[in-house]
Amino acid sequence: MSLTEALLTSTYFTILVFAAGLIYVWIKWSRKPLHLRWELYPVPHEPGRTHYGGSYMEEVDWSISKPSKSLIEELKEMLKEMLFLKRVYMYNRPLWYLTFLFHGGIYMILLWFASLLVNSLTTVYLFESAAKTTFIEYLIIFFGYTGVFATTIGAVGLLVKRIVDSSMREYTSKVDYFNLSLILVVLITGLAALGLDPFFEIARKYMMSIVSFQITSSVKLPPITTLHIVLLQLLWIYIPYSKMSHFLGKWFTYHKVLWDDEPNIRGGRIEYRVKEVVRGYKIPWGGPHMKKDRSWLENASEVE
Amino acid sequence: MEVKLLTRIKVSDISKEVEQLVKLSVRDLMTLPPPYDKPGMEPEMTEPKSEWRSRYATDLDGYVGIDIPWRPQSKEEEEKLVQRFLEGLNKLLSVEGNWTFLQPLLLSLEYCAKCQTCSEACPIYVSSGRKEIYRPTYRSEVLRRIWKKYLTNSGRIFSEDIELNARTILRLGELAYRCTICRRCTQTCPLGLDNGLITHEIRKLFSSELGIAPKPLHEQGAMQHLKIGSSTGMTPEGFKDIVRFIEEDIKEKYGKSIKIPVDEKGADILLIHNAGEYLSWPENPAAFAIIFEEAGLSWTLSSQPVGYDAVNYGVWYDDVMLARIALKHIEIARKLDVKKIVIGECGHAHKALTVVADRVLFDDYNIPRESFLPILWDLVEKNKLNLDPSRNDFPVTLHDPCNIVRLMGIVKPQRNILQKICPQFREMNPSGVYNYCCGGGSGFAIMQSMNFPEWRSKVASRMKFKQILEAFKDTVQDPKIPKYVCAPCSNCKGALRDMLEHYQATSRYNIQYGGLADLVVNAMVDLKSPYLEFLK
Repeated sequence: MSLTEALLTSTYFTILVFAAGLIYVWIKWSRKPLHLRWELYPVPHEPGRTHYGGSYMEEVDWSISKPSKSLIEELKEMLKEMLFLKRVYMYNRPLWYLTFLFHGGIYMILLWFASLLVNSLTTVYLFESAAKTTFIEYLIIFFGYTGVFATTIGAVGLLVKRIVDSSMREYTSKVDYFNLSLILVVLITGLAALGLDPFFEIARKYMMSIVSFQITSSVKLPPITTLHIVLLQLLWIYIPYSKMSHFLGKWFTYHKVLWDDEPNIRGGRIEYRVKEVVRGYKIPWGGPHMKKDRSWLENASEVE
Repeated sequence: MEVKLLTRIKVSDISKEVEQLVKLSVRDLMTLPPPYDKPGMEPEMTEPKSEWRSRYATDLDGYVGIDIPWRPQSKEEEEKLVQRFLEGLNKLLSVEGNWTFLQPLLLSLEYCAKCQTCSEACPIYVSSGRKEIYRPTYRSEVLRRIWKKYLTNSGRIFSEDIELNARTILRLGELAYRCTICRRCTQTCPLGLDNGLITHEIRKLFSSELGIAPKPLHEQGAMQHLKIGSSTGMTPEGFKDIVRFIEEDIKEKYGKSIKIPVDEKGADILLIHNAGEYLSWPENPAAFAIIFEEAGLSWTLSSQPVGYDAVNYGVWYDDVMLARIALKHIEIARKLDVKKIVIGECGHAHKALTVVADRVLFDDYNIPRESFLPILWDLVEKNKLNLDPSRNDFPVTLHDPCNIVRLMGIVKPQRNILQKICPQFREMNPSGVYNYCCGGGSGFAIMQSMNFPEWRSKVASRMKFKQILEAFKDTVQDPKIPKYVCAPCSNCKGALRDMLEHYQATSRYNIQYGGLADLVVNAMVDLKSPYLEFLK
């Protein structure tokens, strides 16, 4: 097996491991038991109340009518946070310039991947039209350059800020530095690879090999590009198990905790789960007011 | 407001062998607006008594929140404390021990980016002159590092910079009582993480495993509530006496003959007040009685133990205690066969029974629980009460209790009422869901031991005091004009009372405080004299 073939094989492996890792993380958080309500306002799915942070509990007898939810309002707030990092913009502007460059750059790189993928899929499986090819090639160049430069500038800026700003430095762990450094190394090798492939011809051929499941004979990877791909693969494999999977964690912190205002309706899904946990789990606590090894329900119903 | 940054303290310093990590001084605190911007307008900060140092944890900032003598007296006791703390931490991170908050806790521990975006949202951190130990991420990072280093493989590999010794635990225990769990920091977190929750969870670990919690919260609070009937120590007989006294007072002062319904089966509403109201501010339950009777509502109070005290201190430090009290409240409502429970002017009781305890109830115990605010607005809006706003023609501002507003989203009803009945109503800045805590949140209002009240008024309540001064800046220096801070929450009123006394703001500048129902009754046209004492 040639080095390129090995790299291609490990690319498929990386994609599978990355996907499996994300599924694992998703399942890990999804399977956590029902928690007590701990929402925080504004909760953006309250129709007509989002702008001031109101809730259905502003109504008399709210429990009689099922509170309505506006998914659109929730998605709007989610997108503002995802795309523009709204909270950092509002509450930590100096950091926002750097983190927005960094995250915006990552989004561009993802679009670069997507345009490479579309280009390869259409070329391999559909048709090869000159007009389409030219358009996508422009997109590839645009997303590729803006992405890699924005992300690199952002990553360097964030690393420098973390080192210079004592309030961040004192709290930053070795793992945090490792994560940021790994991303930077991938970006720097990516920039070096870009220097040898300024119009992404190698990248396009490599992607075509991936989607066609065969090595295109003309794919000749320079050593720095090979190193870049290896590091990128390691990064992708590592992401789900690191803090970098916060794009998944964030779904749970917002949608399943801070915006989870779903009331426990009699005979409903939540009530069923409540019964399970209060009857099923036994208290392990050793405090003097606890009835150790008795169920939550027994602990809650009887007081000595 | 610019405050000079002081020497930085590292997270790892929590275990340092020094007598006290931080020493506070009035000079370092956030500057207050006029007329409190001049020297000598507030008392200096005091030193802890030397005898406290051997029994309590004065090692943090010299203040004592946990007022039980829990300092280990020997090497063996120190080792035992460390070992039991780690056992507790393990349980805190287990499904059986902590299904109640496991998911949000682990999310907050795992994903923090240490961006410090939350710091400036914290009134305690900012008011203290940005002392590092009060930064919302400080105590969270201490817990996170202990967890990583002592309970995970990655922490062992990367060796987190923290030492777990008795001093770490003593300081962390106190530090859990330097945050009011107002969760303002959480609103600003880009990742939706919750340092307020981490404070809550540290308190839980200390209480549930080690049996360590401030006496006013646990022993004299939640436990007394369950055993005697009220955290105030009030017995059912005492409660009935006070109700009779209130009836007589209403008749004598305001000429209204009212029979306050107690234990009336089949009423629509079981109204539960914070029992502190009956003792410290009986005019508030009296105002409710006047309003509900005037409006012809079907309602009752309960004289059953626990049923006449809406508080639930468990919500601040211990989930099992929360569940015990909530179940008692529900049980009493069931026995009275009421349609719903309505909670009076008590913020944490609102959140505890309506929201947090929602997921420990099922079947017949799952009965409706509501705030009094929408009902009161409904009565005012529909003109069920004959009100004359000119009776409230003095400056009024509104304090938003965190538990009712930020944590339940009940924002408009109280504003609608004030806009209708107070011609000089003005908002604080910020207000609504972005309000600042009164400084009495999460139990601080009732923690009156040793030097804790000084810390509360000086640091925790400082931002609220600043907001009040700013809200009344047009009239603050004229003591002839009464200025009213409307706080529809018993604990907030307690914190405001102590704050206004500490800064002598009532005696110097005629800044008054009180509830919302009181203001409504003050506007009732058929009352023979003003309802608010300071207007008489």
